[in-house]
Amino acid sequence: MSALIFFFTFALIAVGAAVGMLFSRNAIYAALLLIVNFASVAFLYLSLGAPFIALAQVTVYAGAIMVLFLFVIMLLGAERLPPSQELPWQRPLGIVLAFLLLIEAVYGIVFRVNSAATLSLPVVEFATPAEIGSALFSTYLLPFEITSVLLLVAVVGAIVLTRAEGGARRRALVSQITQAVATEVPEHKAETPEEEKELV
Amino acid sequence: MTAADVYAILPLIVLGGASVVVLLGIAVHRSHSLTLILTLTGLVAAFLLLPLVSIEAPRQVTPLLVIDSYSIFFSGLIIAASFIITVLSYSYLSQQRGHREEFYLFLLLATLGSVVLVASTHFASFFLGLEVLSVSLYTLIAYSRKEYGIEAGVKYLILAGLSSAFLLFGMALVYSELGTMKLAQIPTSLSNPSSGVSQVFVLGGLALIVVGIGFKLALVPFHLWTPDVYQGAPAPVTAFVATISKGAMFALLLRYFTVVNIHNYPSLYLAFVVIAIASMFIGNLLGLLQTKLKRLLAYSSISHLGYLLVAFLASGPLAAVAVAFYLVTYFVTTLGAFGLITIMSNSDRDAEDPEDYRGLFWRKPWIAGSFTAMLLSLAGVPLTAGFVGKFYLVTAGIGSALWLLVIVLVVTSGIGLYYYLRVVVAMFASLPKGSTIAPAMRISPHFTGALAVTILVLLLFWLGIYPTPILRLIESMVTGFS
Repeated sequence: MSALIFFFTFALIAVGAAVGMLFSRNAIYAALLLIVNFASVAFLYLSLGAPFIALAQVTVYAGAIMVLFLFVIMLLGAERLPPSQELPWQRPLGIVLAFLLLIEAVYGIVFRVNSAATLSLPVVEFATPAEIGSALFSTYLLPFEITSVLLLVAVVGAIVLTRAEGGARRRALVSQITQAVATEVPEHKAETPEEEKELV
Repeated sequence: MTAADVYAILPLIVLGGASVVVLLGIAVHRSHSLTLILTLTGLVAAFLLLPLVSIEAPRQVTPLLVIDSYSIFFSGLIIAASFIITVLSYSYLSQQRGHREEFYLFLLLATLGSVVLVASTHFASFFLGLEVLSVSLYTLIAYSRKEYGIEAGVKYLILAGLSSAFLLFGMALVYSELGTMKLAQIPTSLSNPSSGVSQVFVLGGLALIVVGIGFKLALVPFHLWTPDVYQGAPAPVTAFVATISKGAMFALLLRYFTVVNIHNYPSLYLAFVVIAIASMFIGNLLGLLQTKLKRLLAYSSISHLGYLLVAFLASGPLAAVAVAFYLVTYFVTTLGAFGLITIMSNSDRDAEDPEDYRGLFWRKPWIAGSFTAMLLSLAGVPLTAGFVGKFYLVTAGIGSALWLLVIVLVVTSGIGLYYYLRVVVAMFASLPKGSTIAPAMRISPHFTGALAVTILVLLLFWLGIYPTPILRLIESMVTGFS
């Protein structure tokens, strides 16, 4: 019974936070609500007997990734989201489809209760760091390697797409200005701010 | 993993290793031609390893990948297409400014992702292969960083991310009911009556997986990204999106839904019928409205994937052969069409406006002639590869008595013929007097691009006139894969 109360408390918090995130028009609030969602899902993992996954969820998702999210939002100054431009039929259609999915989920769960599917409780040593490590490096070695390729693609892709345009030209301009400043200090003093602005 | 397992996946290891070598090569010495040579060496090595590996086939390598003749055939097709695209990219990038070398790295990695997809027998390898392919494509599409390129890249990023979310949700639903992510175990868990499996969740999960697959294949309700991405991406990347990305996904679709017999799910089957009919109609009808050549080819590819679904929905041994052969002809033709766009493009923009093609025959007869051959093959005119491919699709459809689908296929092909011929007519039209040639029209194709296109034209006619050898190969490799 207490497990049930525990589950429903955190499940409701998780769902509430997710809905709040979707409806919030402030990106910071949305990100913070997402942290609440991640943390409550971590508690659900804990109740399923997977402490390592729960802690990984907190440190990686609620911690590292969300800090990066908040950092980028604040760096871009994009806290206030612009009013959404949606197609006229978008919202009713979305509501109808979501409702259908909900009916399907409820039907599936009710159907499930009648059939005597027994949930086998995980063993005590389920998903310990040692077990996850040995699974990653034996059965799942291949996906582990493919994941590393995926990360490589993402990193190099981000660098390629954000590389500075015309780096050589900029360096030439910088050396030109420093030379000019060194030789004709008084004349160029007034011009440098504009040129510097160009550099930025 | 045993030594034999490692041997079986050697082509994948070579592709992954080649990408690392290319990466280090760029870091040590930035040279366009050196990078090209390293990339091509990697692709050739991976391709040559395939026949050696096939001695070990079929072999299940960990629960994730299976190396059987089916996956080897499609791996070979993907690697060969990637080779052609690499050569075309060299011709394309030679005219571009800025860093060009990383392009090849992403081509190699996207190829690796596609090869993982065709060998996948587990949801984990399905998703990882798909993501490696997609993330490489985000970068490739936006690579030139021109106006439309960025727009296309962002559109593809957001929509591919969304479709991956659908796919994952579907996989989670199937897993929650069946307790397995292994493809081979899904039918046994489904047919096990005592397990209390809820068909509702499985069906819902499969439907969501179809959404994810449908996005990559640009089938009709999920096709909205196609014209913009085709237009914005550099021409060789568009060729990659149109051929390898879709071909790998279709090979996976065929494998998954042959194991999970689609004929057992009338509602899912009906959904595929509707998708196929909608793709054929919308692809061909909206194609009529397009003036830009790359957008036109985008709608053309939507309709071609619709045609492919006809054979997919047909049952029997002929269906898989028809799908594989049609994919081969589609690869040759589409690569040829985008190859010709590539060699006509210059550093400012890709050649896709109607003016770029008007009267092309009178200035560049060989290019215009090759283009005509490609377009006629896309339309399915006899003596070209496209005709034989379509013939097999129709035969497979009739063999399973899919009359409605076959009739739609024939009717929409007729509609499609009109817009292909419009481009052909424009190429043979005389230039209006006093008109100046647009800058993009001064074509001086790099010999590598010209060579690649020549090979594709020869393949096109070979497949159209004497397809027997390749059909024999497909029959021996593709049938009986599950």
